[in-house]
Amino acid sequence: MLFLIAVHLALAAVVPLLVRRLGPRGLLGVALVPAITFGWALTQVPGLERGAIHQETLTWSAGLDLRFDFRLDALALLMLLLVSGVGAAVLAYSAYYLGGDAGRVGALLLVFAGAMAGLVTADHLVTLYVFWELTTVCSFLLIGEQGIKEQSRRAAIQAALVTMLGGLLMLLGFVLLGEAAGTYRLSEILAAPPHGGTVPAAAALILLGAFTKSAQLPFHPWLPAAMVAPTPVSAYLHAAAMVKAGVYLIARLTPGLADVPFWRPVALTVGLLTLIVAAWRALRETDLKKLLAYGTVSELGLLTALFGAATHTAALAGAVMLLAHGLFKATLFLVTGIVDHQAGSRDLRELSGVGQRLPALSAVAVLAAASMAGLPPFLGYLGKEATYEAFWHGDTPDHLVLVALAVGFVLTVAYSARFLWGAFAHKPGVAATKVTLPATGFVLPAGVLGVAGLLFGLWPHASNVLATPYADHYPSPVERYHLALWQGLTPTLVLSALVIVLGLVVYAGLDRITAVRQRLPALPDAERAFERTVRGVNQIAVGATRYTQAGSLPLYLTTILLVVLVGPGTMLLFGTTLASPAPPDLVAVQLPLAVLVLGAALGVLRARNRLSAVLMVGVVGYGVAGLFVVHGAPDLALTQFLVETLTLVVVVLVLRRMPVRFTPLERSWRLRWPRWIAALGVGLFVGTFAVTATAARTVPAVSREYADRSEEAGARNVVNAILVDFRALDTLGEISVLAVTAVGVASLVLVTRLSAIKPRRVRQHAAHNRRTEEDRR
Amino acid sequence: MNVLLAVPVLLPVLAAGSAMVLARFRLTSLLLGPVILLAVLGTAIALLVLADQHGPLVVQVGDWPVPIGITLVADRLSALLLVVSTVVTLAVLLFALGQRVTETRYRVFVPVFHPSYLLLVAGINLAFLAGDLFNLFVAIEMMLAASYVLITLDPTTVRVIAGMTYTVSSLTSSLLFLTAIGLVYAATGTVNLADLSAKLAALPVGLRAALALLLLVVFGIKAAMVPLHFWLPDSYPTAPAPITAVLAALLTKVGVYAMLRTQTLLFPRPDFWPLLLVLALATMAVGIMGAIAQDDINRMLSFILVSHIGFLLLGLALFNVAGLTGAILYMIHHITALAAMFLVSALIVWRAGTSAMREMGGLVRTDPGLAALFSLPAMSLAGLPPLSGFVAKFALLRASVDAAAVLTYTLAVAAVLTSLLTLYALGRAWSRIFWGEPRGASAGREAPDKLKARTWMSSPLLPGATAVLVASGVLVAVLAGPLTGLSQRAAADLANPQQYRSAVLGGERDGGP
Repeated sequence: MLFLIAVHLALAAVVPLLVRRLGPRGLLGVALVPAITFGWALTQVPGLERGAIHQETLTWSAGLDLRFDFRLDALALLMLLLVSGVGAAVLAYSAYYLGGDAGRVGALLLVFAGAMAGLVTADHLVTLYVFWELTTVCSFLLIGEQGIKEQSRRAAIQAALVTMLGGLLMLLGFVLLGEAAGTYRLSEILAAPPHGGTVPAAAALILLGAFTKSAQLPFHPWLPAAMVAPTPVSAYLHAAAMVKAGVYLIARLTPGLADVPFWRPVALTVGLLTLIVAAWRALRETDLKKLLAYGTVSELGLLTALFGAATHTAALAGAVMLLAHGLFKATLFLVTGIVDHQAGSRDLRELSGVGQRLPALSAVAVLAAASMAGLPPFLGYLGKEATYEAFWHGDTPDHLVLVALAVGFVLTVAYSARFLWGAFAHKPGVAATKVTLPATGFVLPAGVLGVAGLLFGLWPHASNVLATPYADHYPSPVERYHLALWQGLTPTLVLSALVIVLGLVVYAGLDRITAVRQRLPALPDAERAFERTVRGVNQIAVGATRYTQAGSLPLYLTTILLVVLVGPGTMLLFGTTLASPAPPDLVAVQLPLAVLVLGAALGVLRARNRLSAVLMVGVVGYGVAGLFVVHGAPDLALTQFLVETLTLVVVVLVLRRMPVRFTPLERSWRLRWPRWIAALGVGLFVGTFAVTATAARTVPAVSREYADRSEEAGARNVVNAILVDFRALDTLGEISVLAVTAVGVASLVLVTRLSAIKPRRVRQHAAHNRRTEEDRR
Repeated sequence: MNVLLAVPVLLPVLAAGSAMVLARFRLTSLLLGPVILLAVLGTAIALLVLADQHGPLVVQVGDWPVPIGITLVADRLSALLLVVSTVVTLAVLLFALGQRVTETRYRVFVPVFHPSYLLLVAGINLAFLAGDLFNLFVAIEMMLAASYVLITLDPTTVRVIAGMTYTVSSLTSSLLFLTAIGLVYAATGTVNLADLSAKLAALPVGLRAALALLLLVVFGIKAAMVPLHFWLPDSYPTAPAPITAVLAALLTKVGVYAMLRTQTLLFPRPDFWPLLLVLALATMAVGIMGAIAQDDINRMLSFILVSHIGFLLLGLALFNVAGLTGAILYMIHHITALAAMFLVSALIVWRAGTSAMREMGGLVRTDPGLAALFSLPAMSLAGLPPLSGFVAKFALLRASVDAAAVLTYTLAVAAVLTSLLTLYALGRAWSRIFWGEPRGASAGREAPDKLKARTWMSSPLLPGATAVLVASGVLVAVLAGPLTGLSQRAAADLANPQQYRSAVLGGERDGGP
């Protein structure tokens, strides 16, 4: 498995080169890679019957339990056969369909095929998630194409956002599940499923992930929107493979999580609603691809319901329908692509008489559509018979499900007919479409897939082998159901016939139904809900950011200081016993010095004139230096005096180039009181904190040791000893700070074109900031 | 062997001095930085191996007994971050050389770039190695002083204004830091971290809590924790591109590192920290909302940076081995991915001729290589598997879920939604920059930030250095196994600082609270 996936990813890098050398036909060679995977998967089938399950493992990070575990059980094998088989067909088809972009698209399709193979064979939640998101990325890049069309870009982003929202929630669900189970290995979790606690939450999140990926209501609009992508992409990613990942996940986990109370009802309700609503919607579309896309959504709903039902027969039916849908829907997309390619349109109002011109192609389409409608002897028929059977024998809720299924199938028959008519029929009043004949190789892949649907139907044993082992996860009913074309004259056979007849009746009466529908109130539009959500997030983002990111430095500083007060400040006030500020060795000079310092500090707050503000800051500095002297630290005091003087001189020199007065402060008290609180509060906070912290000390400070050991350091001055010996590294650091500051000043001042910085513009900017600040109030 | 500890600090300092003297020898000054950083890288790797095998490496500078002198300590976390940061500084330096940021537009009489850059590196390295609170302050001052110079390199009006916001905010934080150190010393009489670890435990609970919060605020400003983050998006985006890269990737992480170190060593907690969890949530939310609101690519990345600081805070706030492991892994991821992203952004701005994403377009066709370089770190930042961001996020999610409280579950959901919105912001950026009709440079627009190299190939250093960083981001994911093991051991060291204490204080003083 690992090897095959690695081959996919590695060869993808070569595809663009190959295509450049050989042209789009080079993709025929690329198709060999999934074809080989398909062949290898076939060789594993006999082992499955013996009960031998192929497993592989590669440890990524043991500490986090991140592993790449693979396990090829029946369900995985079924999916692998499907994705590799369809993958090979689609790549071969692309060799004819794609033009100039073939290298890029081919490479991404190959990466996708590898990712899908990894996803369906993963036996570890994280392994599954890795490939899950890889398919999303491929989908994003494939839908967006070169992003030239606005529509493509939007569709790509929408698809990625919706599926990644689900994916990320699912990841959280995986973590909850893995932690509850104590393992991330799927087979181990399913062998001993965890219960209670966070498991329901995990289940809900995982269901959300599955629903978004498989385009269930109300997350479905991304899938029809994704139809802007080239047809091979629609056929492979958005019909046969990627969108199956969600239902695959439900199929995989239901045996373990069906005990969660809401699992079955939610899966059944969402699935059946999607089945009916999307099928109804498909009847309205005129774009053949969109018609098929809604058909896909509808079928995915069916699969969700079948796999979520958690019974033996339903699981069997689900597995068969999974295979059937993959085959017929891929075929129909490929056919539509050929029609589009050869006739230049895929609008069923414009196409006319295509069937006559392309009889082989329309035969293929009939094969696939018949399987889709559930006609015998196609695979779709086997699946639908099993579906009826699964709910026929139950109680009232099961019968309600049966009714919903029947309604869904009636609509399915109707849109199948509509597709065939739309693509191939002669329409009265519409000129026959000009069609060029496609190459045989172009039609061949679709033909192979279409015929496969017939062969599987004629040979039910194959489906039994692949699907029964999965169904055996559930207790089998007394009368074990076996897939067969002829089950006898059973009630389900009657139901099948009835549904087909009713479906054709609906199709025949489509015009009248349309008329009725136009009078009905419109259903809530999920597409618009998505757009509204995205726009809402954008508006909140812009609004919130405009509010917080005001661009005003004073505001930022006020915020920082208020945070200091709110955080450490309140903790100090309410969490500690504040010590009383009564140091024993109060010297008389301290008091006037303190008054001087405080007075000058308050003066700074009131100053209007730059020079006086600077002078008062200087007074604060000199006052503090005076306190140093009183405390017996002449060295410090000297340093402080020098620094203050130097700073004053420099600042005064700078002030010569600046306006005398500050730009007038805002008069508004509302703007100013937070600053007063910040200034006074932080001052009080630091003072109180210092007193409290000093009072709390119980052990002698390290400074004693400095005094004792300064001799040892060869110094007679303890400050010198600290600076050049005990803490020399700090000094070195501070010297380099000075050096780099000098360099910086030089770079700012000594640039030869000083005029590059215009003081006027700086002021304008500051004024602008102030305005924004005022706007906010 | 412990002499090695001084190398990552002293070598760049010496080189910075030499760079000033040797400025006139062009080749020498060009080669000096890369050579020195390579030597530092080698040393850092050696330190990492030694610290991992033998426990923390300690050197008492000047051979004074603890706590008289300054202690340098390299434990697993320090050494690991030293390695990662050196890789980034080296790659960014090469980019800067390629972009010729190193030569300013104006003729200046002193060499500016090389000495400042090397001192920045010295400061960062010292911050990781400091085993002393005041020395940590000095380290951060070295780093900041150098960054003040670098952020206004080649000054323009916008840069000077942004530089002012940056400088004043940083100085405020430094002032508060200094105050906090004074208060810590007042209460305990020491600034040595290991010594403090024992002595702080003896203080009254409320006083310790107040000190813890004050230090949280101090480092919160540097780390751009909401609501202390405002300065960052207003200042980083305007600096010369490689400077933005190194500041964004490393300086905030030094803040987070200091937070990790001080909170775990000085103020250990038995359980998760609700306050910090709430702050982490706010940081994620405010940051990512800001990112969505931006159209300027560098501003958007700056907001994403703020938002993802929330992930790191989450890891710390959980206060257990699992959470700290997540934080360390996220740190490694975020340093490499973000630096790479900013370098890619510089190339984009250069090619598009503007930093406004709405005015770009079609680069995927004109520069497919650039698209590839963008996509890897972008997906990694968004946390897509199997890239490094996913590994780190997964670790954090597991840790939050394991903590099993309403608040931690909430944080797990918030982390997931933040990832989604990151993805939205970056996906939209991809759409605006790379998709659509080609515009920008091909339409004859001129790049605002001067990249003198005319084409890709005229300076292979630009894409080369970017590719190296992108590749190292991928390497982080590939090596997730060993890195997780290492991070778990480092986190265990943090959660149980006994080993750190006894390594610094010596066996006989072992056995703190």
